[in-house]
Parts: sequence; structure tokens; C-alpha cells
Amino acid sequence: MMEKKKILEEGLLELYLTGELSEEQASMVEEALDQDTALREQFDALEADFERMGMEQAIAPPPAVKARIKDSVQPNLIRKTNWTPLSIAAGFALIFGLSSFWLYEKWQNAESNLETLQTQTDRLQRQVNNLESEFRLTSNRLESINNPDVIPLVLYGNQKAPNGKAVAYVNHKNHLVLVNPKGLPVLPSDKTYQMWSDVDGEMISMGTLPTDTELVSLKYIENAESLNITIEPAGGSDHPNVEQLVSFVTL
Amino acid sequence: MRTTTNDTELINRLLSGDNTALYQLYDKYSGALFGVILRMCRDQNKAEDLLQETFIKIWKSIDGYDASKGRFYTWAYRIARNTTLNALRTKEKLIQTDDLSVYTNIKDDEEAPDYSELKGSIKSLEPHHQQAIALVYYSGYTHREAHEKMGVPLGTFKSYVRQALKQLRETYGTKLVYIWAVLELMA
Repeated sequence: MMEKKKILEEGLLELYLTGELSEEQASMVEEALDQDTALREQFDALEADFERMGMEQAIAPPPAVKARIKDSVQPNLIRKTNWTPLSIAAGFALIFGLSSFWLYEKWQNAESNLETLQTQTDRLQRQVNNLESEFRLTSNRLESINNPDVIPLVLYGNQKAPNGKAVAYVNHKNHLVLVNPKGLPVLPSDKTYQMWSDVDGEMISMGTLPTDTELVSLKYIENAESLNITIEPAGGSDHPNVEQLVSFVTL
Repeated sequence: MRTTTNDTELINRLLSGDNTALYQLYDKYSGALFGVILRMCRDQNKAEDLLQETFIKIWKSIDGYDASKGRFYTWAYRIARNTTLNALRTKEKLIQTDDLSVYTNIKDDEEAPDYSELKGSIKSLEPHHQQAIALVYYSGYTHREAHEKMGVPLGTFKSYVRQALKQLRETYGTKLVYIWAVLELMA
């Protein structure tokens, strides 16, 4: 083998032993050693001799050196666990954890605030709707009452309804009749007030008058001469019970 | 025989983070390595620092040691040698600014190398063999520098080293036979 011959002739094993070879030469020697048992044995013997010679030439160092080595190795052992990157990582994790928690809290707060606002808005919206419809109702009523075509008529109660009073708003132009029965005394639940128009001596029903309503819209009858209120059984009658006449007004 | 099983176990323990294995390796090899370092730098305090540095390097780079490539001692020796050479080179740089290499300076310091520092079987070798071993293994010279130092051709110098090692092995061999005989008698 070429390499083996070269190694032995040039004494490369000895140079390899002391680490004097270039990297290239060293790997060449290592390869040869791996492949050639005889060469390996020769190198093993050389190493053994070299070590034995080293032991023979040994000079005992003072004990202080060992103590110093122990000192410089021991604290390093602790450093070997290397807490620095670990603690940095832990610090970052903590910061991330806390900020995520903080952000989560914020988000949750915002969420619940939003919900509260939503319910408040809904409630306000409902109130506005209610107010609006109430306002529309009221202004409608006002419009139907406070109108130059409307004639307000007061019906004062007789001895059957002392101090009773009802107000009728008659609009001949639009053929509308609105009555406010609030001023009439409250009747037992089996009785009701009913309004009639007198047309040529005949009483024509305009409808019942529940006292719990502020304005009752009634049927407009043409050519009525007077308006009359009677007390009738609950639900109203087809013909008026004239004995139970409570009030009337002439048109 | 490469790294002994005992060393392998110590190295495995050291790799797994057991520092007591380092102290055991120290007990076993610090003397031999200190012998190398001290002979190279010829300064007791400096040599102690360098021995410490060497073992810290061993501890830090033990995972770079490959038992299949050679003995632990060989690996540790290279670390000790390089550490010492680097330290001497730095020192030279601090002292002088001209372009002389560190080796030239060592040679100046060592006009009369003190071989008496070497001991044991080496002393039974012929003087030129002793010097060859001392220059290459205990003074930090490369083979190339050492042959110039001794004033002989590189080939001749290499054969000095080889012959010296061979003779050493023979003396070790007879010693081993002797030890073996003693052990046999004891058994």
C-alpha cells in the first residue's frame, strides 16, 4: 500500500502523534490507520510507549492547581445549566402572558360595555317608538279636536249622573264624532253608556261609551237633531232605554 | 490497546457532566502533562497556570475527543503542548516586535538544554537520542525545527526519534517482563 509505505518511511506516525501534520496529511494517516491493522498496531505501540515515557517524565504539580481547577469548574457547572436564555425566555413568556391577559380583560370589558350599550340603545329605541306612536296618537286626537270644523258639545249629567259630564266633538265636514266620557260616573261592569242620535224622533245607536277611554270614536249619523246618552246593559242595546237617559244636547 | 476501559469510563462520566471524573483524569495525567509543560516553559508559576488552562480546555472540549483515533493521553498532550506554545508565542509578541518566531527565541534561551531534567529510562539512551526525544516531546519543537537545532538532516533526525522510541520500548519491555514475573510470584 502506497500510503503505508510513505507513512512509515517519512515517520508520519510520530508527527501525527504530536499533532504536527497538516489536516490533509492527518486525515490521510487516520484513513490508513483505519484500514491497516498492522499500521494501527504500530501506532498503538507508539502511543503506549509515548504515554509510558510521559508517565516516566512526570513532575507532580502542586496540589493548589487541582484546587484551582475545581474552583473554576464548579461554578461553571452551575452556569452549564445555563439559566440566562431560560430566564429570558421565561421573562418573555411572562410578559406575553400578562399582556395577553390584560388584552383579554380589556376585550371582555369592551364586549360587555358594548352589550350594555346595545340593550340601552334597544330600550331607548323602544321608548322613542312608544313616544312617537303616543305622540302621533295625541297629535291625531288634537288635530281631530282642535279643528275649526269641529264643534265641541258638553253633555251635562241629569239626576241619574249628578255632576257627570261628557264632551262630544262633532265634525260635520268629515263625518266624525269623538267623545270624551271621562267625566261620567263609573258604572258597574254589567252596565255601559251608549250614545244615540235623534233623527226625526228616532234614536239611532252611535256606539257604546267605555268610561276608561279618553276619546271614543263613534258613528256619525246624518241629520241628527240631538245627541243622547243612556245607560244600557253591557254590550249595548238596539233600542234605547229612555228611562235611563243620562244626558242630551241639541245640535 | 487504545484508551483503557478505565479511561473510557471516566470520559463517559465526564461527558455526562460528572466533574469528579475530571479530577480522576487529573490525578492520573497531571504529572505527565505538567512534566511536558514545565520543561517547555521553564517557569514554575507559568507552568501551573498552563496546566490549569489545559485541564479546563480538556473539560470544555471533551466531546471533541474521539477514542477510536487514539489514546486520551495523546489527545491531552496535544492540548497541553499547543496551550503552552500559544502562551509562549503571546509572551514573545509582548516582549519583542521584530519578526522572529517563538521557536527561534526558545532556541536562544536554550543554548545548553538541560537533559538532566529528563529522568527514568530515557537516561539510559545515547545522548543524541535523548536530545531528539527532549526536543520533540518536551521542548515544543516540531521535527523540522528540531533537526535544524541538532544540525542533522530531517531524515536522520526522524530515525533518531524512532530508534530512541524503539530502545525505550525495549527497556519498557524488559521492565514489563520483570513486573509480570513479580506479579506472578505474588499471585
